Amino acid sequence: MSKHDLAIDPPLMNAAGSLGFSPDLYCPMDWSRMGAFVTNPISLMPRTPARGKRFIAYPGGFLLHTGFPNPGLSHVLRRYAAQWSRSTIQVMVHLLAQSPEEVMKMGRQLESVEGVVGLEVGVASDASAEMVVALTQAASGELPVIMCLPVERSVELAANAMEAGADAISLAPPRGVYPSEGEMVQGRLYGPAILPLALRMVRELSRLGIPTIGAGGIYTLEHKDAMLAVGALAVQLDSVLWRGAGTNLLT
Amino acid sequence: MGHTRGRVTEIRLEACRLIEAFVACPAGTIPSAGQYLLASDLDDPEAALGVPLFVAENSMQGFWAAPPIPISWRPGTDLDLIGPFGHGFDLPRAVQRLGLIALGETSSRLMPLVQQAAQSHYGMTLFTDLQLPRVPASLEAYPLASLVEALDWPDFLVVDVPLQCLANLRKVLGLPDGARLSCPAQVLVTTPMPCAGMARCGACAVPARRGWKLACEDGPVFVLDNLKW
Repeated sequence: MSKHDLAIDPPLMNAAGSLGFSPDLYCPMDWSRMGAFVTNPISLMPRTPARGKRFIAYPGGFLLHTGFPNPGLSHVLRRYAAQWSRSTIQVMVHLLAQSPEEVMKMGRQLESVEGVVGLEVGVASDASAEMVVALTQAASGELPVIMCLPVERSVELAANAMEAGADAISLAPPRGVYPSEGEMVQGRLYGPAILPLALRMVRELSRLGIPTIGAGGIYTLEHKDAMLAVGALAVQLDSVLWRGAGTNLLT
Repeated sequence: MGHTRGRVTEIRLEACRLIEAFVACPAGTIPSAGQYLLASDLDDPEAALGVPLFVAENSMQGFWAAPPIPISWRPGTDLDLIGPFGHGFDLPRAVQRLGLIALGETSSRLMPLVQQAAQSHYGMTLFTDLQLPRVPASLEAYPLASLVEALDWPDFLVVDVPLQCLANLRKVLGLPDGARLSCPAQVLVTTPMPCAGMARCGACAVPARRGWKLACEDGPVFVLDNLKW
C-alpha cells in the first residue's frame, strides 16, 4: 500500500490498546468483519506500567491510567513482525509519540516490515499545534499516517495535522480525573458515556472536510451506525471488545 | 475459548454480606479454582465492562460465583460467558497440610480448594479475620494474628491477597525482611482486570522478581516467590 491509499473496508477496526500487539486468532471474534487491526501503543524504548491506582469504575464508564506499558519497538518487532506478515487483516502500528525524532526513527523502521499498512501516531493531550505538525511530518513517509488526536482538542488540531501530511484523523479517549481513596486519579476515560462527545467531534470534523476515524463509547450497532452517520470514514471499537459481548458488533 | 450462555438462577448473601450468584452453565465452562470467566449481562449491552467471575463452589449444573457480583443481577439474568481465563491454583499431589490465607473482602475464592481438600482428606487451616461462609467441619479457622505462630504447620500455602496488600504480606506473615517461607506458596492476586488479557493493557500489572507480570494473563494465581513482595 502506498501513501494516500488508506482503505478501511469494512469500515470497522479496533482502537489502539484494545486488542494487544497482534491479531489473536484465539480471540473469539470474526476478524473478517474488521477492515484493519491497530496495535497497542508502541514506544521506541520499553515502558513499564504506571504506579498507583490504574483503574477506577464509575457510572457510565471507567478511568484507566496504565502508562501504556510496552517492551519497546525492537522487542515488539522481534516478537510480532512475523505474525503481522502472516495476518489476514491489515495491520496498522500505533506509535507512542515522545518526540518527532523518535517517530521518524520508528516510522522508517516500520516501512520495511511486511504486513504493516499504516501508522497511527498518538499525540499527547497537551501537545501544541507546532508539535502536532512536527510529529505528522516526522511520521510521513511511505506509509499512510493517521494522527490520533485528543478528542477534546481534535477540532483545534486536526487542520494542522492534515496540512502537515496526515491522511486521516482518529480520536484518542478523553482524559479526566476521578476521586479515589482521598486522591484525584488522572487517566483516560472509556465507556458509553463518552459517545455523545465523540459524535459531536466527528460531526464537526466531517463538516470541515477532515477524514476522521470515529471512536469513543461505541457499545451497540446503533452507536456504530450513528458514528458513520455523522461522517466517520471508519469506526474504532475500544473497551466494548473487552466485555466479550462487544464482538456482537462484528457480526 | 469461546462464548457460552449462562443464567443466574439464585442469589445468596455470603458471611460478609457480599452477594454470591449461582450461574447455571455447561460443566466444561466452569473455571478451576483461581481461574475466571468474563461475564456480561445480555440485557445490559451498555455496561462498560464484563465481570470477572471466580468459582466459590462447584456443582454439576454450574457454579456459585464469588463476590463481587453486580447488584443488578437477579435470578433469570442471562449472561454471555467467555473463558476460562488465566492460571488457577495448581496444588502438588503430595500436599498434606494446606494453609489458606484470605486477606481481601471475601474468602470465597479459596473455597473450591476447601472442597478439593475435603475430598482428598488432607489437613487444612484457614487464616482470616473475615466472617466465614459455609465451610466443612474439617476446616479449622484462626485469626490472622495466629499466623506468626502457626506458619510452620502448612506444607503448602495459598493466599488470596488484594494487589495493594501484596507489599504488606511479609508483615502479615510475621516474616522479617529477607526471610523465606518454610513451604511453597501460591497467591491469587485480586485486582481489576479490565481487558481480561485481550489487550495486555497493563491495568493489572503485578510487580515481579524480574519486571512485572499481568494478573489477567500470567495470573491471577502466581507462585509467590516469582513476585516482588
